[in-house]
Amino acid sequence: MSDFLIHVAAVSCLYGILALALNLQMGFSGLVNFGLIALFGCGSYGAAFAHLWGWPPLAGLALGLVLAALLGLFFARLGARMSEDYWGIATLSLAEIMRLVFTNEQALAGGAQGVSGLPVTFSTLAGQGAGLSRLALYAALLVAAFILCQRITRSGFGMALKMMREEPQLARALGYDLGRMRAIVMVISSLMAAVAGFLYAHYLSFVGPEQLMSHETFLIWSMVIIGGIANNWGVVAGAFLMQFALAYVPFVKDWLDLPTDFVAATRLVIVGGGILAFLIWRPKGLFPERIGGSHG
Amino acid sequence: MIQFLIDTVIRALDLALIAVALSGVYSLIKFPNVALVQYAVVGAFLGMLLQQAGLPLVLALPVSALLVGGLAVVFNVLLFERLLTEGSAIALIGSLALSMILSAVFLLAFGPSAYRFELPVSPAMRLLGARVTLHQISTLAITVAALGGFAAILFLTRLGREMRATATNRVLASASGIDTRRVINATVFLSGVLAALGGMTLAMRGSVSIDLGTQMLLPVFAAAILGGLGNALGAIAGALVISAAETFVTNTNFGVLNGEGFLFLPASYAQTASFALLVGFLLLRPSGLFTSEVSRV
Repeated sequence: MSDFLIHVAAVSCLYGILALALNLQMGFSGLVNFGLIALFGCGSYGAAFAHLWGWPPLAGLALGLVLAALLGLFFARLGARMSEDYWGIATLSLAEIMRLVFTNEQALAGGAQGVSGLPVTFSTLAGQGAGLSRLALYAALLVAAFILCQRITRSGFGMALKMMREEPQLARALGYDLGRMRAIVMVISSLMAAVAGFLYAHYLSFVGPEQLMSHETFLIWSMVIIGGIANNWGVVAGAFLMQFALAYVPFVKDWLDLPTDFVAATRLVIVGGGILAFLIWRPKGLFPERIGGSHG
Repeated sequence: MIQFLIDTVIRALDLALIAVALSGVYSLIKFPNVALVQYAVVGAFLGMLLQQAGLPLVLALPVSALLVGGLAVVFNVLLFERLLTEGSAIALIGSLALSMILSAVFLLAFGPSAYRFELPVSPAMRLLGARVTLHQISTLAITVAALGGFAAILFLTRLGREMRATATNRVLASASGIDTRRVINATVFLSGVLAALGGMTLAMRGSVSIDLGTQMLLPVFAAAILGGLGNALGAIAGALVISAAETFVTNTNFGVLNGEGFLFLPASYAQTASFALLVGFLLLRPSGLFTSEVSRV
């Protein structure tokens, strides 16, 4: 396996975890979150702070998880009385506030320059060993996240989430506490996103505010929509598909000898066009949600 | 103080046209169309191309605005009508995707650099002790005229009455013989015209680059939501509040807070102010200032 393939596969696994986290929110619970990248950022900046302050990396993970859980709870609190459009805009705003603060505060994790030189996971292993071990670790975590999501969505709680998505009034009338359900979903998926952010920081060995651009959230959205909203298999497939599609754009550019702007523009077209094409022609994605018999 | 007021009004001009367009469309088809800020960028680029093609500015502005209005109708018929059958959240995501595609088109056609209209440079004048440029006054005139025209259509014409009827109760409006689809497309057309004018007035006072849409997105939304999404004239009030907050954040000396006597926040915190205001406001009044809509459970 070439280094490049290992790299793309490893990043795909991390995005798979993010896609599962978003799917738990928007797919199963109907929470239209446009600020997912902020939860990812809690994990990556947790790693950055630990590096700056000389803490061991695992303390950074703990810090990132705590920050993500708090932010997730705040998102859930915001969603308590808001309709979904407003909540989407509010989450987008919060993610942008976070990015702007990190960009402008030089004292806070290096400002626009970010933090570099984080220890790379398994960097001591020789040759391809490091890359393969990282891939194995990320794949194992992706499988764990997948099993967790499958268990949640097939449980009674998962059924309640779907009812909250489809018929919130009915769910409330039947005595479900929607605020509490929303908070639980947000915390679980925030923790998943933060783990992905932490691992990504220790993979790139760099954390910077441009990783928190709202484009990144929409990239994850495209994975969920193309793969299949509310289908855990589908969104993981969507994550791999999108990562591999994007990874090969620079090769096409070199092959056709096109200007550099082409790469950025093509990425936008792949993500935006993918979302639009699927919403119009195949709104259920490649792998539609399975309705009924999901306990089987 | 006068300078603060004038800065606030000038900044509000940036937001008002697009925010009114956003609110106007929302009142009829219940989804916030994110792509409207990109229509503003299309309008600015198109106006510039027309001017380079030899059209005088007085003609380039309205022609570009009308073309963008037509484009908005085309997107509405081809995309949003279909997406709205799946729900407003799906249409919102679709409009985000459309924005991404439009920015890719801008990137390929114009590259990342900034463009400006060919305008004579005019020195700042003094008005009651505050600095004002001629371009600021002319954009003020354009904005006031456009908003006045929109208000006149909304409140004085038959189309405006049909628009208001459709916004209040679409089923009832259609039952009483109003062609709601035509009314909606007319409103979408007007929103495209307003957004394009907004983009061009912005470009007249500064420059336009492909990032303009992304930069405007949240302040415009903040203004529209503060005014109560769907209340077109409330959006003007929202724009004033947002721009007052932004001007306050960037022009105030916060030196007292850190004891050093001198602390100005970086200009990009102007955006942070509007987002924070938006989020804080939504916490208190989840559906805007001037709406009485019943919120979700």
